[in-house]
Amino acid sequence: MRNGTKLLLLAAMALACTACLTAWGAGVAGAASLGLTDSGAPAAQVMFPVGVKPNPLGVGMKPVVFNHLIHEKKVEDCVVCHHTGDPVSCTSCHTVEGAAAGKFITLEQAMHATDIAKREKGITPQSCVSCHEKQLARRECAGCHSIVKAERGNDWCAVCHVVTPKMTQGQMRKGIEGKMAAAENLHLAEETALNKPQAVAVSPQAGPLKVLIGGLADKYQPNLFTHRRHVASLMEAIKDDKLAQAFHSSPETVCAACHHRSPMSTTPPRCGSCHTKDIDPANPQRPTLKAAYHLQCMGCHEGMKVERPRKTDCATCHKPARQSAD
Amino acid sequence: MSQHTIVIPTKDKLFNLEPLLTRTPGNILTWIILAVGLVVTVIRFTMGIGSVANLDDNWPWGLWIGFDLLCGVCLAAGGYFTTVACYVMGMKHFHSAVRPAVTTAFLGYAFVVVALLYDLGHPWRLPYMFFFPGTTSVLFEVGLCVATYVTVLFIEFSVAPMEWLSCKFPWLLKYRKLVIRATILLTIFGVTLSTLHQSSLGSLYLIAPEKLHPLWYSPFMPMFFFVSSMAAGASMVIFEGMFAHKGVHDYMDETHLREADCVVLSFAKAGSFILFAYFMLKFIDMLVQANIPYLFSGYGAWWLLEMFGFVLLPALLYAKGSRDGNVKLCRIASVNAVAGIVLNRFNVSMIAFNYQLPPSDGYFPSIGEICISVFVVTLIVTAYRFIVYNMPVLYEHPDFKGEEH
Amino acid sequence: MNRRKFLTILGSAGVASTLGTAATATKAEAGHVFPYYDESYGVLHDTTRCIGCRRCEEACQKVNDLPKPDKSFDDLSVTATRRRTSADAWTVVNKYEVDGKPFFRKLQCFHCNDPACASACFAKCFRKLPNGAVVYEGSQCVGCRYCMIACPFYVPGFEYDEALDPLVQKCTFCEPRLQEGKLPGCVEACPMDALTFGRRSDLIRIARARISENPGKYVNYIYGEHDAGGTAWMVLAPAVDGKGAKVEQNPIDAGHTMKQLGLNTHLGTQPMGELTYGALGAVPMIVAFWPVLFGGAYAITKRREAMAKQAQDAAVNEARQDVAVAVDAAVRKLEETEGPGAADRARRAMTEALKAREAETAHARHGEEN
Repeated sequence: MRNGTKLLLLAAMALACTACLTAWGAGVAGAASLGLTDSGAPAAQVMFPVGVKPNPLGVGMKPVVFNHLIHEKKVEDCVVCHHTGDPVSCTSCHTVEGAAAGKFITLEQAMHATDIAKREKGITPQSCVSCHEKQLARRECAGCHSIVKAERGNDWCAVCHVVTPKMTQGQMRKGIEGKMAAAENLHLAEETALNKPQAVAVSPQAGPLKVLIGGLADKYQPNLFTHRRHVASLMEAIKDDKLAQAFHSSPETVCAACHHRSPMSTTPPRCGSCHTKDIDPANPQRPTLKAAYHLQCMGCHEGMKVERPRKTDCATCHKPARQSAD
Repeated sequence: MSQHTIVIPTKDKLFNLEPLLTRTPGNILTWIILAVGLVVTVIRFTMGIGSVANLDDNWPWGLWIGFDLLCGVCLAAGGYFTTVACYVMGMKHFHSAVRPAVTTAFLGYAFVVVALLYDLGHPWRLPYMFFFPGTTSVLFEVGLCVATYVTVLFIEFSVAPMEWLSCKFPWLLKYRKLVIRATILLTIFGVTLSTLHQSSLGSLYLIAPEKLHPLWYSPFMPMFFFVSSMAAGASMVIFEGMFAHKGVHDYMDETHLREADCVVLSFAKAGSFILFAYFMLKFIDMLVQANIPYLFSGYGAWWLLEMFGFVLLPALLYAKGSRDGNVKLCRIASVNAVAGIVLNRFNVSMIAFNYQLPPSDGYFPSIGEICISVFVVTLIVTAYRFIVYNMPVLYEHPDFKGEEH
Repeated sequence: MNRRKFLTILGSAGVASTLGTAATATKAEAGHVFPYYDESYGVLHDTTRCIGCRRCEEACQKVNDLPKPDKSFDDLSVTATRRRTSADAWTVVNKYEVDGKPFFRKLQCFHCNDPACASACFAKCFRKLPNGAVVYEGSQCVGCRYCMIACPFYVPGFEYDEALDPLVQKCTFCEPRLQEGKLPGCVEACPMDALTFGRRSDLIRIARARISENPGKYVNYIYGEHDAGGTAWMVLAPAVDGKGAKVEQNPIDAGHTMKQLGLNTHLGTQPMGELTYGALGAVPMIVAFWPVLFGGAYAITKRREAMAKQAQDAAVNEARQDVAVAVDAAVRKLEETEGPGAADRARRAMTEALKAREAETAHARHGEEN
């Protein structure tokens, strides 16, 4: 049955392509394409906020362009996303308002929910966000993401909710009504995906080679932090990661893992600007400077499963002072 | 049987110490125990509690509290139980049982205080509780009541030594008369104080619900301790009587011997009722607290053993013994009941206490602690023998025969 | 030293001591809002941050002049054994396995809002201070160790090996240091800020913020917020996500994790001391009611005895009268048949016999009473 559907889709695709290349699609489809998917599904798709209520003005959240090509390579089986086993579009069950077919799970929930209850039997569905969050547990991500929680502001939304400005009001309305032709949809999606701006991360070379952390040196000597080595190794690990490329939307995003809570910049403020040496009565929740260093370093090392140095091997990072006051 | 003569101390020969000093196996054993006890005492007070006891931070209270204090106080309940029965309820045929009961109660309490001195870090500071009264403490209530009750018991008991010494110090007679006139007052005061501190020994553990096993912990522990102390009172009179008849039979007069069996049977009947009531109380409490699941654990089996083997069984034996007029059976039941009370106090204070700690953090009393406890019991027995040999406890003093009181 | 100098010293010592007691007395009175102090301080212990470095133990030993342990503080292997606080070590850090992952927890006095030890002490050695510390004053300690029985956290230790002045010892919240405006030794030494010092109310807010800002990192339960009536020192526990299952956020489910950290969530929310208030409250009742009850029983007994005696006397009298009437009739009959002389003789003999019998019964009754 499933193979049958695939074949059917493939046939439809072939038909659509032929149509584009030959007759009425010829004018719009001149640009490059993303390529073909293994499954035969469209390489990319614009996901409109399909609703059952009449929406003559065509207002709604900006549609999402879903790159099927990239995503299907990351999963083992179609059912990871198509949890019913039927590879239909999400909006056929999950509408903006929720529908009986989708057990009244709204489109917003289906895409964003993170507290999905485990199903007794069958496949536990995943949302875009829950699956992406799970990726953060990967070693190359877990270091930074265990010590800092990414801010979920407009930039974060716009990573997915983006569509080419060439989309017309009419196309949007058609999409919302679910009446857009597959080829037109694919064209819009490819247009968006191919023209998506990519943030170029700041090069590790932009930062200092080494940083002497010695403001607190007392029982231990100052620590010479190999800044460039650390940054370079972090960036090396994610250099081919599409998820990181998509979501690290600013050149300084990686810097912000350690240089957190201040505006992104290549010249961030010193740690001691906020983290005082002794507890700050006005901000008792803020770690003191010593703890801030330890929490950042150890938090990241733990997240990346860096076994050594052990957390209690103090002398590995900073040598004991020659004659401590013991 | 009634033909024996009791040596009544006279002005010239006030002390009758021979039975304590002759070289009988019993006396030799006593001397050995006392000598060992004295040595341990010296070690305890010169090198600290840790040098003789297995107590540690998890087990601040061990055998000395579990046996000497809890069991000591409970088993001395015979004093209030007998005086109330005789004076308040007017059961005059128990009259000959009153003095021995009061004597043992007084000795019991006095030596509870002595034993407590071993357990306290600063024994000489014991009176501090009156200067800095921690009124929120159950222990304060216990201390206050025990201190007062020891005084009351001392006054109640003082009749015997006064009768003994009156031949040499006749002025004592005046005080004796005063005390005898105050008997009923002292009795009622005594039973009030006993109720308070017998129950508050149970209240001591109310503050530690997380440490005591749920089968033993209950908000009604004070009541359980009080009710079981009544059973202990009845049982101890029978239990002590049994040994007295073996050891100091010669110092009993006709009245005592005549009434002894009647006392045993009546107290057995009372003990049977109280133990039944106690059994039902505990059982209903177990049901109300929804503790049935705990019954299927090791502690549950132990609890069932305590309840059936040491509460229900003596209750049944008492019932049968008193109905059949079988004194021997009643005595066996009293041994069973007394063992049950001791078992219950051990359970609360040691066996079911700290039940959540791993077995490696368990507690077992050290040789030193056992020595001290045995030493204290021996002291009580020796003091009892001294009193019985010299004072009119088991017999009526000929000078005061026939006086109504 | 001459005599005058000696007297001066003596006098000033006396004045100083009076002033001292007066000062403490007024202070205690002014601050008497026991048991809850709004402005009291506390410490939040975040077990997800603790790395088991034992710096707190070391600082505690130094700050409080405690005896040095046999094994140095650099030996971290001791954390694997289940240690507890004692007279010589007022704080210890232990390693606990929480769902297979190692975590560390620091043990010390929790400084309860309404401490069980203070409630249990019968010589008033423990006090809860307005700054949050539960302090112990050993000069009036009797050494009964009921505080150790009462403490639900197994905290106080006792100097068992001290012969003359054995005292209970426990964490003081570094009370003397707080007075100087310094942090407790352990808090200051912690390199990870696993210990956060602050007002208790602030700490609860901080703890809540940490729980909500880091979903899946913490168990949704602040140990000590309400446990045992609330404590000044509180603990945040890690949520260990075993097999990718959703982390339980229900506070009731926290017991599983807390138990693995050696924390008991079944202490209830009322102060432990309150468990004894019912029993203590019954004391005045018993004192008032028992004498009435037993006095009444005594009165009833007496009355019953008196009534029984009366009934007995009446019966005896009646019997006696019956005899008298019968005898009288017999004598009269005698008089009729045999003449007055015989009747007189009979009467005299009868009186004598009655007298003798009365004497006999009186003797017998006397004997019985004995």
